[in-house]
Amino acid sequence: MHNFALWLAQTRISLEIQTHAWAVPTIQSVHIAAIGIVVASVFMIDLRIFGWAGNDQTLLETTRRFGPWLWGALAVLLATGALMVTGEPVRELMSLSFWLKMFMIAVGVTLAIGFQFSLRRNGASWESNKNPGTMKFLAILTLLVWCSIIILGRLIAYDHIWGRWSLNPSA
Amino acid sequence: MSAAHILESLQSSGLAERIRNSLFLFPLIESFHVVGLTLVFGTTFIMDLRLLGMASTRRPFTKVASDIVKWTWAAFALTATTGFLMFMTNATVYFHNPMFRLKMLALALSGINMLIFELTAGRKAHRWENDRAAPLAGKLAGIFSLLLWISVIFLGRWIGFTTTNSEAPDVDTKTIDDIFNK
Repeated sequence: MHNFALWLAQTRISLEIQTHAWAVPTIQSVHIAAIGIVVASVFMIDLRIFGWAGNDQTLLETTRRFGPWLWGALAVLLATGALMVTGEPVRELMSLSFWLKMFMIAVGVTLAIGFQFSLRRNGASWESNKNPGTMKFLAILTLLVWCSIIILGRLIAYDHIWGRWSLNPSA
Repeated sequence: MSAAHILESLQSSGLAERIRNSLFLFPLIESFHVVGLTLVFGTTFIMDLRLLGMASTRRPFTKVASDIVKWTWAAFALTATTGFLMFMTNATVYFHNPMFRLKMLALALSGINMLIFELTAGRKAHRWENDRAAPLAGKLAGIFSLLLWISVIFLGRWIGFTTTNSEAPDVDTKTIDDIFNK
């Protein structure tokens, strides 16, 4: 992995990012704005599940309202995330927080896909709220997963906090 | 008491020292700052798009607002608190950092923008709340809000690139190993 990171750091696009001081903060800012759209979309759907907001719309209507924004912003996150890895490969790939974050993203995306499929298939029974307990639990879990993704993302800059588990204790 | 005195006493307070001397407090506070600001930005984005007629157009504006604004303020409280804690650790440096000053200016402008909206289009919201988009004053407020909050995010990120923070504490260094007793 370290060799791959070193190779990536020598590529043309990586060198472009490294030599422009504004590039990294700009890409990071777009990344933060996009995660804001994702987490707010998840939050609004959660509020609807709890019946705390948007009760004049069904759950299906609510997910149709926020779903496209969520997936669109995820695409932006993937693109800007790939640029950041390319621009600073050693910092990202040699960080425990980064790999924990990738794992949590897999969990978060699986939850979102599962939620959409199950809502489409069992829409009617979901609307009549037959198992609100499970749904509320999953709603909170999903929000916590996305919060952990944000926190782990910021912690990439401070990998030393993981002590001996850190992949790059000097960070 | 002068500004320099206030900054000095913030910086030398026990709380500031504690954050500075911990290896994980500053990173954690910063992480929660990001959690808060993503919620502030995301929820504000929903409101701005509603004003511009670009999303949630089938719901009355006042309904969208009453669902969202209280959460935006709650998230703002988290962001402001964590932001203040970070500021304390290195108050003099942050205070004189041009990116920090611009960020505070952008925050103040976004507050003024919100106030102007409340006094103009917001006041008569019942007249247009079912329209696809807000009247001109509302649309302008939406555009300014979007631009200002994007500037806040960008300037905030630049502060991190133009100041040194508590990444290198000098004494009493603690890591996760100390929590788990090696």
